[in-house]
Amino acid sequence: MEAIGQLVVILGTIGVVMVTVLLHVAYLTYLERKVLGWMQDRMGPMEVGYHGLLQPLADGLKLFMKEDIIPSGANKIIFSLAPILSLIPALIGFAVVPWGDGQLTIPLPWIGDVTFRPFVTDLNIGILYVLALSSVGAYGVLLGGWASNSKYSLLGGLRSAAQVISYELALGMSLVGVLLMAGSLSLVKIAQAQAGGFWHWYAFALPFPQIVALVLYGIAAVAETNRLPFDLPEAESELVAGFFTEYSGMRFAFFFLAEYANMILVSCIATIVFLGGWHAPFPFLDFVPGIIWFLLKVYVFLFGFFWIRATLPRLRYDQLMTFGWKVMIPLVLANIVITSIAQYFWMN
Amino acid sequence: MSLSAALNKVFFGEIVKGLGLTFKHLFEKSITQQYPHTKPMLPDGYRGIMSLLKYDDGTERCVGCALCEIACPSNVIKVVSAEEPGRPLNRYAKTYTFDVTRCVFCGFCVDACPVDALAMTKEYEWASENKRTLFLDKDQLLAIGDRNFPLRGKKPEYRGSIEGDWYLTAVKAKAYPKQAEKP
Repeated sequence: MEAIGQLVVILGTIGVVMVTVLLHVAYLTYLERKVLGWMQDRMGPMEVGYHGLLQPLADGLKLFMKEDIIPSGANKIIFSLAPILSLIPALIGFAVVPWGDGQLTIPLPWIGDVTFRPFVTDLNIGILYVLALSSVGAYGVLLGGWASNSKYSLLGGLRSAAQVISYELALGMSLVGVLLMAGSLSLVKIAQAQAGGFWHWYAFALPFPQIVALVLYGIAAVAETNRLPFDLPEAESELVAGFFTEYSGMRFAFFFLAEYANMILVSCIATIVFLGGWHAPFPFLDFVPGIIWFLLKVYVFLFGFFWIRATLPRLRYDQLMTFGWKVMIPLVLANIVITSIAQYFWMN
Repeated sequence: MSLSAALNKVFFGEIVKGLGLTFKHLFEKSITQQYPHTKPMLPDGYRGIMSLLKYDDGTERCVGCALCEIACPSNVIKVVSAEEPGRPLNRYAKTYTFDVTRCVFCGFCVDACPVDALAMTKEYEWASENKRTLFLDKDQLLAIGDRNFPLRGKKPEYRGSIEGDWYLTAVKAKAYPKQAEKP
């Protein structure tokens, strides 16, 4: 009975997280097109449904119907495996993301009381897990580019691998300052440590506000998810579509889903690590449910992704590498050093 | 490098400026025209498809002189002229064919017409899957004229003789049919 109850809890939570994430991914494409349109004095999708609200469904349906093409000379197994290898890490990263506080106990017939908590699992190495998965996602891109038997795909995949490795360092190390202050790698514990007003959020908290780390994390996250202005792996003017040039139909959709799921994931991590997760900015706003604050902060980050995309042109490849190695990494290292010194004196 | 330039570089001054501009445009009204739902406002003198006109008593203006055929730079128009049955002095266009697929909408035919029997309308939605529907005969051209110019010019009275050019001046003296007002 106990085991069945646990199974129900785990499967139920996973189901809720999966459905929510996939719905968000679908409507994130819509939101992106709308925001980009508005910023360029256009309207975005308007035809399918009221103000184009059914556009993601139409797009999904279209991608289902499309012919599934495997190019001749492609390595069939790896070619089919790569989109899955790209999508799965992006989705299972959400296992450690807590989106609220408290718990919900529901009495079920035959099974007994089951207690749902607002995360799938509370890994004590949550951040490490997410960073490791984002590296695994790069394999999907690289293998997909290699297996397509196309020079554009190969170049896109190689660029992506180089870019992800360069910015993975900055991404991981920009989180280290917070780890020093929180003393834990568990995302649940980090979020819980930031309760009680925005001056307790690690972006603004004493002894050393991690606001610089937040900005650096944002830049590295944009590069990590291959978004503009760091979308060198899929630079249209040079590489057609980069690593998914040869992909069509559902396999293409998998890469697409992975990109947007990664965007949501890095936004969730930024929210939890730097902006207090589900906590309200002021104590008197605590009556608003935590999930709303959490989503609000995540949406601010996602809007930032679109905003930057609408503003900045694509970087040149050497600029990308120079910026990654000569600006980002020295800055995050300096941040770690200053934070650890400040934390040392703060604790004594 | 001056201090302000250095600060500008450190805080991504140029990028922040650009972000501000795009954010401002977020709230500006879009200039998109939702075409099939809202039609564009066409200027006066817009040259859409050509049409044949009638007098207020329903008779055709065209006298079958085929000057439009001569004026046409792309051989769109074919006129076959004939005498009106019972009135040998009056000629009319027995057949008048118009090939929209070749028309360049220059309006030279309208300028060439001595009796103002032709006019360019503001119709432009003539896309078709079947090219044959774009090969118009006289009845179709007259129908286009009827639905675009409901106000017809008055037919000048016949004075018993066509000596001199009184007929042409009388036709030209009539007000050019007003374009049907679009709501």
